[in-house]
Amino acid sequence: MSDIAVRARLGLAEVHGRRLVIAVRLVAGAAIAAFALSTPGFASPLSINALLTAISFIGCVAVGMTFITITGNIMSLSLGATVSASALIFLASLSFGVPGALALAILFGVSVSAAQGMVVGHLRAHPILVSIAALSLLMGGAALATGGQRIYPAGTGLHIFKGRVAGIPVEALYFFATVALGQFILSWTRIGRVMVMVGSNRRAATAAGLRAASAVTTAYVIAGACSALAGVLLAARYGSGDMELGAGYDYSAIAAVLVGGTSIQGGAGSVMRTLIGVLVIAIIEVVLLLRGFSQQLQYLITGIIVLAVIMLHTISYGR
Amino acid sequence: MPVLAVERITKRFGTNEVLKDVSLALERAEVRAICGENGAGKSTLVKIITGVHRPDAGVVLIDGKPTEIADPQHAQAHGIAVVAQELSLPPALSVLDNIWLGNRAVPLFHRRRELRERARGALERVGLGDLSLDTPVLQLSIGGRQLVELARMLTRDARVFILDEPTATLSDIEIERIFAALRALKAEGKAIIYITHRLGEVFEACDTVSVLRNGELVGTRRTAEIDRAELMRMMLGRSMAEMYPDRDSKAGTPMLVVKNLWVPPLVANFNLSAPRGAVICLAGQVGSGAIEIVRALTGLACDATGEVSIAGKPLRLRSVAKAQACKLRFISEDRAGEGVFLRLSVGHNLVATRLPDHARFGILARRSLRVAAARLAAAVGLDRARLSSPADELSGGNQQKLAFGRAIGDAPGVLLMNEPTRGVDVGARADIYRLIRQFCAEGYCVVMASSDLEEVLGIADVVVTMYRGRRVATYRSGEADMQRVLSDITHQVAAA
Repeated sequence: MSDIAVRARLGLAEVHGRRLVIAVRLVAGAAIAAFALSTPGFASPLSINALLTAISFIGCVAVGMTFITITGNIMSLSLGATVSASALIFLASLSFGVPGALALAILFGVSVSAAQGMVVGHLRAHPILVSIAALSLLMGGAALATGGQRIYPAGTGLHIFKGRVAGIPVEALYFFATVALGQFILSWTRIGRVMVMVGSNRRAATAAGLRAASAVTTAYVIAGACSALAGVLLAARYGSGDMELGAGYDYSAIAAVLVGGTSIQGGAGSVMRTLIGVLVIAIIEVVLLLRGFSQQLQYLITGIIVLAVIMLHTISYGR
Repeated sequence: MPVLAVERITKRFGTNEVLKDVSLALERAEVRAICGENGAGKSTLVKIITGVHRPDAGVVLIDGKPTEIADPQHAQAHGIAVVAQELSLPPALSVLDNIWLGNRAVPLFHRRRELRERARGALERVGLGDLSLDTPVLQLSIGGRQLVELARMLTRDARVFILDEPTATLSDIEIERIFAALRALKAEGKAIIYITHRLGEVFEACDTVSVLRNGELVGTRRTAEIDRAELMRMMLGRSMAEMYPDRDSKAGTPMLVVKNLWVPPLVANFNLSAPRGAVICLAGQVGSGAIEIVRALTGLACDATGEVSIAGKPLRLRSVAKAQACKLRFISEDRAGEGVFLRLSVGHNLVATRLPDHARFGILARRSLRVAAARLAAAVGLDRARLSSPADELSGGNQQKLAFGRAIGDAPGVLLMNEPTRGVDVGARADIYRLIRQFCAEGYCVVMASSDLEEVLGIADVVVTMYRGRRVATYRSGEADMQRVLSDITHQVAAA
């Protein structure tokens, strides 16, 4: 009937909701752990290493996506294409040596993303539409530049992005470093704090004299750098690449961000939450694989779980 | 027999008893004000009457019969209608569609003409007889929308109307239209519950007043039999000798000088010279340009032009960051939308604009930020224990104190405010006024826009009356009286 009544109900739900979320999280965490540890082969070093490697690529993109989501810009659909394109640039420019190629790839990811960030931040264009346009541009540009061919490394030195250090896959080390750096930026730096404020309430941020547009652009720059890193890691792992390399990474990344509990409305969340989201999704997938579920069923079950988690957050926080 | 009564209602949330043994009875053709500070239990009482909450003890009586109200639909079926503070009318639909929207009594195959006629009748009863039924609601003012909402409730045969702070965002003319509609409803024998923070309205529009304090009913009086001071004493539980602190201001040198300010499309050629240590009130209704002038000075109006200087230094308009660098701080009229980061913690909110002072190479000194937040909280009288709770858990008054805390600068500057006590209860209002005086005493130049005339006369050292984008007159404190200010802001005076 009335607005006041509806809001009152949501308000009531919110108090119970927060407790509910904590309870569900504990139960779900315990269930996943029990389920995983009781699965034969899960706790083996081989499977753990495979898991860590697998989450590293999507994980880097998800860290970048977290920044876009937290600044209130929902998600970007062009990060997957940025991953692929950065990988191609890295492979093609390996003739300049690994540091040069790495720098070029990162620079490319950063500039592609920064351009989108400026359009979104300064012109207030809709972030998803901008990212769809960027996706088309990247796909078209790459098709023109490569003629649709696979790209192979133009030099050597890929091994520094592969293998293990102290028994841990190198990719995972890069990923964990990205997580640590991301969380540091978010909670220990000025720009990180401003990003959260802009995401929480852009009008209030503007009225307080904070530079909202540059905070948004910075978030996109970070997302671009993270995606480019994922591209470099993927290129090194597979030794060659095309534009399919990072396809779908943006969707997986946003799923991880939301499962972690970062608010799709912006202004609340963290990189650590995203790490948890990435882990939860990956563990469920591995367990399903080890238990012999078909690929189709794996997708289906993962989809249902992601949906359930997002519904839980939506219902319990009324948003 | 009372059309609506509650008897010995008690309601607890957890261990917190928000209503204790409250009894009220409402007769036909009665306008009943319900007053109380925030948290006194007004909203909970309304929610029990409208079926949102169930009481833990006590009964609701409708026409003398004990009635279990299951949910808001049920309450509506009994003829109880709520007009909320923020409305839920879909703005793109026409007035006609809004009136019938969601009305289950309209059959699938209905006669459009009959609906139009009945809607027209309802609009006439609330004084909107000349409004076209096909006007989209978004073209109406907030006050107009509230009247449409009243008409909508009339078509549903409501007998008890509950208005929750309907005038919080309205100008005086619009408030008068709401009052006229209330009188018309009363003449038809409807009963009205009127929740408000504004004491003036209680005496102007209501027959009786019930005061709640800490969940208990302090008493119900006829408004003809008590005065303001008595009502305030009932609400606060103590006599409030002085709502407005003494003006001990020593107006100093001109701090803010505005020449030829234009804010299209409303404000034309506005001039102002505001000294240090004084409160300048721009008094005007919605559409007077007062709020727009303050926003333009803040840097939030993208097409404002004019020469503005602060302490002799020119200020570039249209940039909030530039204005802040000139020691100009702003407290918004729209607390939730623009003033406060509701989902962030109180501490984060307090230091939002001070990050550069507590960072080296972009890295935050978090301990020093915490210390700064605690200091600011203490300066404006916020509980330090709440520093880490989200700002949306604070009452309106405390959120406003938060905004004041953020506005404290290292050195006195200019404090700009719009409607500083909108949605703030009486107790917190006195605190806010004290804070304003405190800023003044420290040498700030305070410029505020307000449509609350009582507040303007109570706090201002200089009153500038505004009408349709132009200054009407300027009064020193003591020269202004309610009559003159009211006539200034409602009628254009020839020699402006």
